[in-house]
Parts: sequence; C-alpha cells; structure tokens
Amino acid sequence: MEEYIISLEDLKKLADNLIKEGTDLFLPSPDNSRFVRLKKADELKLAPEARPSDISAKQAAFPKCDPVLFYKRDKSTVELKDAEPSANQVLFGLKPCDAAAFGIMNKVFNWDYKDNFFNKRLENTLVIGLACTYSDDYCFCTSVGLSPVSETGSDIFLVRLSDAQFAARAVTDKGIQFVKKYSQLFAKGDSSKSKPALESIKGPARKFDSKKVKDWLDKNFETDFFNPVGDTCLGCGQCAFVCPTCHCFDIVDEDYSYSEGRRMKNWDACQFSLFTLHASGHNPRDNQAKRYRQRVNHKFKYYIDRFKEILCTGCGRCSRGCPVTIDIGSIVTKIGNLT
Amino acid sequence: MVANIQEKSLYLPKLAKMTKKERFTDKEMFFEFRFDDGSNLNHRPGQFVELSIYGIGEAPISISSSPTQQGYFELCVRSVGRVTSYLHNNLNVGDYVGIRGPFGNGFPFEKFKGHDMLFICGGLGVAPLRSLINYTLDKTKRGDFGKVYILYGCKNNQEWLYQKEVEGWKNRADVETYLTVDKCTDSNWKGNVGVITTLIPKVNFDVNKTIAVICGPPIMYKFVVLELKNRNFKEENIYMSLERRMKCGVGKCGHCQINSVYVCQSGPVFDLPTVRKLQEAI
Repeated sequence: MEEYIISLEDLKKLADNLIKEGTDLFLPSPDNSRFVRLKKADELKLAPEARPSDISAKQAAFPKCDPVLFYKRDKSTVELKDAEPSANQVLFGLKPCDAAAFGIMNKVFNWDYKDNFFNKRLENTLVIGLACTYSDDYCFCTSVGLSPVSETGSDIFLVRLSDAQFAARAVTDKGIQFVKKYSQLFAKGDSSKSKPALESIKGPARKFDSKKVKDWLDKNFETDFFNPVGDTCLGCGQCAFVCPTCHCFDIVDEDYSYSEGRRMKNWDACQFSLFTLHASGHNPRDNQAKRYRQRVNHKFKYYIDRFKEILCTGCGRCSRGCPVTIDIGSIVTKIGNLT
Repeated sequence: MVANIQEKSLYLPKLAKMTKKERFTDKEMFFEFRFDDGSNLNHRPGQFVELSIYGIGEAPISISSSPTQQGYFELCVRSVGRVTSYLHNNLNVGDYVGIRGPFGNGFPFEKFKGHDMLFICGGLGVAPLRSLINYTLDKTKRGDFGKVYILYGCKNNQEWLYQKEVEGWKNRADVETYLTVDKCTDSNWKGNVGVITTLIPKVNFDVNKTIAVICGPPIMYKFVVLELKNRNFKEENIYMSLERRMKCGVGKCGHCQINSVYVCQSGPVFDLPTVRKLQEAI
C-alpha cells in the first residue's frame, strides 16, 4: 500500500483547497459532541487521543432526517418531486469505529432494493480515518473484528507521528485518486515511519469473544437473561441514535403548509414500544426485555446470519450516553461467559 | 417473484385515482384504484402496497383483488390510524393517493397447482386471502386447482366483509363455503356460532392433497394450526400471511423484522415449518 507523509500545515492547506472547491468538510466539534462543518482551514485539529464524539458520523450517509420526496397538493391533484441527494463531502479524522460503520450499513441498504439516498451520499463521501489512541472502559472495537488501527471504511488512513506530522495511507481507489489530485501536499513515505506509532497503540482493555456471544444467542431466544436490563431500560432510544450502525427508520410526512410538504426518512429505534405495534393493537415485542433482546440479537446474531457482519463497531457510545448506565459491552461479555 | 422496482427512488410512489368507495362495516371500507396510464399493479395474490396520503403518511395495505382483474386493484381498509381514518373520512372517488409496491413474496400459487384449497379467513384476514380466492376461482385459473373450501369467521353478524361476494361463493357448485360468527347478533342467522376452529371438523378435506391458507388475527393461528394438526394436516401444506408493522416495504427500515427475516420482503406469506423457526412470529 502506498504510504505518504503529510504535515499538519499541509493538511490545513488541503482543507483550504477543499473548502475553496466547495466540498463540505466535517470533523468532530471542539467539545467532541458531534460532527460539524470546518469553516476555516487553520481551525483543523486532529485528535487521535479524544474519545469518540458523542454522536457518530453516520449522518454523513444516513441523516437523522432525510427528505425522500417533496409534494404539492392542489384541489384535486398531487405533484411529486424526488429529493436530490447531497454534495461532495470529506469526513476528517474519523475513528476506525466510525469509518467501519458505513460498510456495515451498506449491506442492509443494498441487499435487495438499492437505497440511493444512502448510496449517493456514500459515493460523494471521502473518509479520512485516523488511528485512535483513546480507549476507556466502554470501548471494545477489538472484540468485534476491528481495532484502533483498522483501515476498514477509510479511503485515506492517517497515523499521527508527531504533533506536526502524520503518515497517510491511500487505502481505496478513491483514496489513491485523491492523493494523486493533491500530490504536491503528500511526500512519499514508507511504513517504517508509521509502524512504531501503530505498535504503540494498545487498544481497549475490554475483550470478549463475539463468536461465543453468537453461539449463546443462537440457542437462547426464550430466556430470562434480559429481564433485569428490561426492567432498567427506559426505552428512550438514545443508544440507537448515537450508534454508528443502527439504521432503523420511520417514514413521516411533514406539511409546510396546507398545500406543500415533504416526506422524511427519520431515525427510529427498536427500543421504542411503538416500533412494532400493529394496527390491530397486537405488539410482538410487548415489553422492554423483549425489545432489549432484539437489540442484542440484531447486533450480535441476526445481522451476522443475514449479512455476515456484526452490527456493532465497539465504539461504546450507547453505554457512555445511557441515562441508566446500561452497558452493552458488559452485557455481551456476560453472555460470552455463559457458554 | 414480481418486483416493481422503482427506478427513480425507492420511496417515490405512483399516483392512483380512487374509482370506487363502498362502506362494508363501521370500521371497514372497500376501495378501487386505477393508475391514470391504465397500467396494472402487476401483483401476486398476497402482496401488499404502501398507500400514502400526502401530509398524512404512509401505511401498508394488503391487496384484496386478484391479478386476473385487469386495469384496477382493490383494497379493503380498516380505519385504525391516521392514514386509514383519513382515507375513510376525507378522500372520495376521484381523489388521488400514492402507491408504492407491490411488495412482499405473495402466495406461491405455482406450488398450489393441482391441489385442493382450504382458505381459513378470520375477520379482516379475508381481505388478503380474497386476492388468492378470486385468483383460484377465476375461470382462466379454476382448472389449475381441485376442490375449494372457504372458511370465514367474524366476531359478530355486523362484521361481514364482501358480503355479496361471499353469497356468490356460497352459491357456486365448485366451492364449499362455511361461515361462522363468534357471537350471534342477528336473530335470522341460521349458520354456525363459535370461533373459526369449530368449522374445521365440519369440512371433509383430503389431507393428502389439500393446501391450507390462513389469515386472521395473531391469536387465531395457533388454534387453527392445532385443529389442522388434529386432522393430520402436513405442516408443509399450511401457509399463513403474517401481520407486521411495515414502513419502507423494501427490507431496510427494520420495523417488520423477525429474527434475521424482513417480513416485507421474505414474507408476509410463510409456510408453517418456516414460521416455526421464526421466534416471535406468532
């Protein structure tokens, strides 16, 4: 793989070029709460030591509220207009647990019918990943097939060598083309520079065997294991909303006026009691324990059965943000120990 | 499988004009729709559409007409939520709705050819089953199937759907129709009183060549299956259409998921052995 060296100054120049070309550039906000647009290139900061932003980067391809069509109503007719997908965007400094999520979601958005809202956005997105030196009690990327240095999902992958210097790997064709386009900013390098930096990254302390988790889930659908967490869970859905891989959505109409409006794909969550409620009043998941069982099974069993991927990148956001301190990492660790 | 893949966008409906509207009961109404370009929906019996009313929302509705009926399609809709009550109360013949689909697998009627057919409909479950009943009874298809038994039960005498058509089924020599009400509310009613399972012992079907197709409220499935098993019905000859909350219809939004199966795509029709493997299904 081609490896380059780029200084922080040149990364800022790169950002400046991109902004001037009209590309939208996003990176974690200074308080690390969410992804925001970079307005001035010299404000570019790459922080591999920061915790994952509170809200994941999934909005880049799967926005919280995404218009899918616009309508106009007349006395007797309705006019429909397809929504146009997004402009070019570059995501800067994505942690491996964020970058890998796009490829995982890509499976469900394309397994039969193609969701072009997701696809166009992803197509228009360049992901610049960054090797992560952060870890806390909630992180478990190494238990779900990733690591703080995995390049999965990144088009270009950065490794911090010093405060002022980064190694850059062109991972995908898109990344290679990108480096070619801005070749005056990238100096030729080799892996001898990044290797010691990567080797010094330890990764999270928590470790469980996801294979064992699946083995147990395969055999234990009817179980009282989820009852305590069902009693605790508020069903607020924050875990799904901060998650980089949760992709359930609702379809909702929003009227602007009596005659105009738009139809939205809005994030939804399987922890909400109404999520599965039938028109008849019957609800196949009629208590919170069943809904939590669905969450764990979807992530660590169903998605693997269907798409051969774990629907989790181990970022720990759902646990860090949970108002009642439910920690999915410790729950699946417990499950892994049951087999 | 027929798949009407929308070229422009998955979520962009096609406009359809309401051409008939008829009240069946306090809660259920019958609607006929046509596309302005005269095209067919090209559905299979047992598939569904996402029906939308702009500014109100979108809801999944089973297609109630047989694909042998050309140039239009029919829905039987219970007024329950926002979309369905708006459709009942505010839209009239000549108004437009959005239609996406057809979605889902529909009934595998190719496999049913040469078999006797036993239809077991509970309440509104007659709406999706009617698409297959009318397909089976269509004069161009009738020869493909053997005997036809229709079992149809309602909560009370005020709840019959497709009443005229049910009379027509009763009068056909090549159909055995059995009706029941859970609770009799009409003193002139001469028929059976009791839940739908009480009809099953009355039917003299041949388990070796009969396919049972069931649709009704979730509670009904377990008991109907038990009763069919009592008659030595083979599990693989029992088919059912499952109800689920569905939003996208295209296997993305997650609402209808049972284990790793998206009911809107791999269902809503399943055979009993498959349903047995799906936890939480019924």
